[in-house]
Amino acid sequence: MKPTPVFDVFIDYRKRLFTKNLVKGVQVYGEKLVAEKGTEFREWNVRRSKLAAAIEKGCPNIFLRPGQRVLYLGCSTGTTVSHVSDLVGKNGLVFALDFAPRVMREMVFVAMDRGNIAPILGDANQPATYQDRVSPVDIVYQDVAQRNQVSVFLKNIDMYLKPEGYALLAVKARSIDVTRKPKGIFAEVKAELERTLTIVDFRTLDPLEKDHAFFICKKK
Amino acid sequence: MHKNYCFSNILGIFIFNEHLKVIKSELFTNNEQYLSSPQTKAALSKQYHAVEPTGKSLDRIHEHFSDVKYDSSFVARNIELTKLHVKESVNEDNMIIQSVSSLMELTTILNMLLKRLREWYGMYNPETERAIEEQETFVHEILSKDRKQLLDRLETSERESMGGEIAKKDVDAILFLAKQIEHLRLFKVRQEGYLEEIMKKFCPNITVLAGSFLGAKLIHQAGSLKQLVGFPSSTVQVLGAEKALFRHMKTGARSPRHGYIAAHPLLASAVSAMHGKIARGLADKILLCAKIDYFKGEFIADKLLKELERKFK
Repeated sequence: MKPTPVFDVFIDYRKRLFTKNLVKGVQVYGEKLVAEKGTEFREWNVRRSKLAAAIEKGCPNIFLRPGQRVLYLGCSTGTTVSHVSDLVGKNGLVFALDFAPRVMREMVFVAMDRGNIAPILGDANQPATYQDRVSPVDIVYQDVAQRNQVSVFLKNIDMYLKPEGYALLAVKARSIDVTRKPKGIFAEVKAELERTLTIVDFRTLDPLEKDHAFFICKKK
Repeated sequence: MHKNYCFSNILGIFIFNEHLKVIKSELFTNNEQYLSSPQTKAALSKQYHAVEPTGKSLDRIHEHFSDVKYDSSFVARNIELTKLHVKESVNEDNMIIQSVSSLMELTTILNMLLKRLREWYGMYNPETERAIEEQETFVHEILSKDRKQLLDRLETSERESMGGEIAKKDVDAILFLAKQIEHLRLFKVRQEGYLEEIMKKFCPNITVLAGSFLGAKLIHQAGSLKQLVGFPSSTVQVLGAEKALFRHMKTGARSPRHGYIAAHPLLASAVSAMHGKIARGLADKILLCAKIDYFKGEFIADKLLKELERKFK
């Protein structure tokens, strides 16, 4: 197990990504657990998580550190969230939000196992509706695959991200417009983000995720 | 001037003094307390002469809750509230969607098994397999009569038949499959009855205009009745024809005229040239019915159906 440039993310001899397991012996989505020198590592599947895909594509820093608070929009059943929760550790906190009750059901089970995830059933499009359930955060992560996902992202950053906090965005071009070429859409998203944020990193996720891109931004 | 602030969130109700120190806090321990917080909050702020924080003071109060000591309560309260929300999210829509999905799956499974049964039984008694086209009768006949009786009816005999000589236990295996298919069919009939029942109760207008199965399929594709109501009628028209629709949007191929609603009797019996026209009218009326059902309006589906029939027949 060797460290990668990304903080607290490790790589094994077959170049698979791993994070340190927060809750020993507990799997979240059937991933591999590897114990080494008293630490347990959990495999991070690059095909199931866009954040892992961004790291696999060479992203050097995802700005997640132990003890941070994260607002995670579009958590689904908690695949990526579980790794984010590994990275922020037991002193950190992840607010995991999703709109669909069905996936929230699975998310609640993951949250009960881990102890640093606060699941919220709510609509990311209306940040004010979950105002009393979250506190200001150091990182906003969004992966919602909606047509207006960029404006949803900006609204939430505006409301919950601390100044100079980082914001991570996974864009699905096909959700914004199926008929147009992804390249043009990414350029448009970039221009929209640059109006209020500084873009630190940009990667397309092909071939791990088709027509997806990953942005890392910093609040001014 | 002496000034207190009253702030509430999922953790509880807090009174801050002018230096933004907590002077009184009432922590929630269950969902009921959180849900009735507006009343409690009003009473507390009256008692402490507290006002709603705004601007800078609100920001500083938010900052106050960034403290690590609140983390575990944030987790615990949010888990409990989300559990309640998930519980409350289960409604009639889910029942309709699950039962129509199970019906669609049952149909697929039944067809698959029937094809296998015919293939297998054909080795034993090919003449009968060929003679009875109707699936239901076929299963019923082979279960109730033996090979000799079946062949007698076709005026042929076991000697002339192309069927192989198969051991009794092999025949039993074939007939056991047939018996299971019969059971599955009865199960499917029961499920259809159940779907009809909940659709009649929950969406009476859609059920009369479109039929329970078609109506439920539309709700299933939309995600819920609420979402179906939010669609334009042109979307309802092509629900279930997504592949053709996106091909049309991407490559400019011809657009689909209808999706699931193609199964409606009005469309199934119409000449091809009229399909587009009827589909438009029908989708419009189905959506109208969906809206009435969603907002619990009066029953007008029979009038709409008559209107459509007069127009297109």
